[in-house]
Amino acid sequence: MSFFIRTAVIAALVHITPVVVLVKRPDAVQTLLPGADAYVAREVHLSATDAHRLHEAVDWSPEDGVLVFYGGTAGATSVGALEFVRVDTPHGPIEVAVGFTPQGAVRGVVVTKATVEMRPWVLEAVGAGLTDYYRGLKPGGEAPGGAAGLASRTGNLAAYVAREVDKGVARALAAYGAFYNHVKT
Amino acid sequence: MLYDLRRADVRIKWLVTGLLATLGLSYVFGAVMVALYAGFTPRSVAATYAGPEMSMPMPPETTVAVQRPMSMADFAQPEVHTVDTKLLIQDTHVHVPMYGLIAAALGVVVAGLSLPRRGALGLIVLLFAAPWLDFAGMWLTKFASPRFAIVTLAGGWAMGLAYLSVAALAVHQMWLSRERS
Repeated sequence: MSFFIRTAVIAALVHITPVVVLVKRPDAVQTLLPGADAYVAREVHLSATDAHRLHEAVDWSPEDGVLVFYGGTAGATSVGALEFVRVDTPHGPIEVAVGFTPQGAVRGVVVTKATVEMRPWVLEAVGAGLTDYYRGLKPGGEAPGGAAGLASRTGNLAAYVAREVDKGVARALAAYGAFYNHVKT
Repeated sequence: MLYDLRRADVRIKWLVTGLLATLGLSYVFGAVMVALYAGFTPRSVAATYAGPEMSMPMPPETTVAVQRPMSMADFAQPEVHTVDTKLLIQDTHVHVPMYGLIAAALGVVVAGLSLPRRGALGLIVLLFAAPWLDFAGMWLTKFASPRFAIVTLAGGWAMGLAYLSVAALAVHQMWLSRERS
């Protein structure tokens, strides 16, 4: 009988809670591409070699081997681009929107989705200024240091979320740097 | 038979009633969750589990980009909740043991009901077959054909039917039957 009880407890503990929207995509787009009045979706279909290269660099493969960037313009002027990146964790997925300036630096980061369980951890991390640590990062430069920046200022669970957001930003930087402007349409 | 819920001690009857009520509550919210994330039509279930993987082309020889205009309304489009292979592995690993325990608990209730042997065996088979159908449908939808979404729906409805049958029979025999003590 104890086997059944232990199994039930383990099953309850590892149950993945549903994903909730923390910030709606249109709101994230307006935050990360301010002033844009026209948008394009740029889908980059990776070859097996490039997909392998990206996986080697950041331990990640985009869904179906397709990277999707969203570019924004105001009139004829580029406002920048953004990417939604999913990070799978043992507690379920989170989604991070990473916006870039036309010069290719990170303009901002918004955590758009998390599981019900992780939501308070995300809110604590974001409230402690997590996303400030990513501003200005460029592909090939300094590694995202949100978790290091929050160290000793938040609880363990917020620090855990910060490490996962770091991963999402690192993936966005790697993808943007290698494929946004270097693939012909 | 020694174990007969009609004549069981009132403590056992309340235990079984509490179990059925609690499972019933979880089933109601389970149904709400299905409605939110997968839907109740073969089409929506197929979209959840088959996803784009069913028609995923081979990677191109060289990396290529395709560009299309977007409007703000496109960003607001509701996204189809999809379950990829990794998540389905995780879901199967997490849900199947729990479904097994629920089927076992309801099976123990069935064993205490006054039913013809065949009827009791049929209910026990249904209790365990329903989750098997549910997850078999999800895997077949992903890797064989989106048409197998109907198997997942059949499994879900079978789970609900099995639970309602056990709950109705148990409540009737424990609390309403003339033969109860």
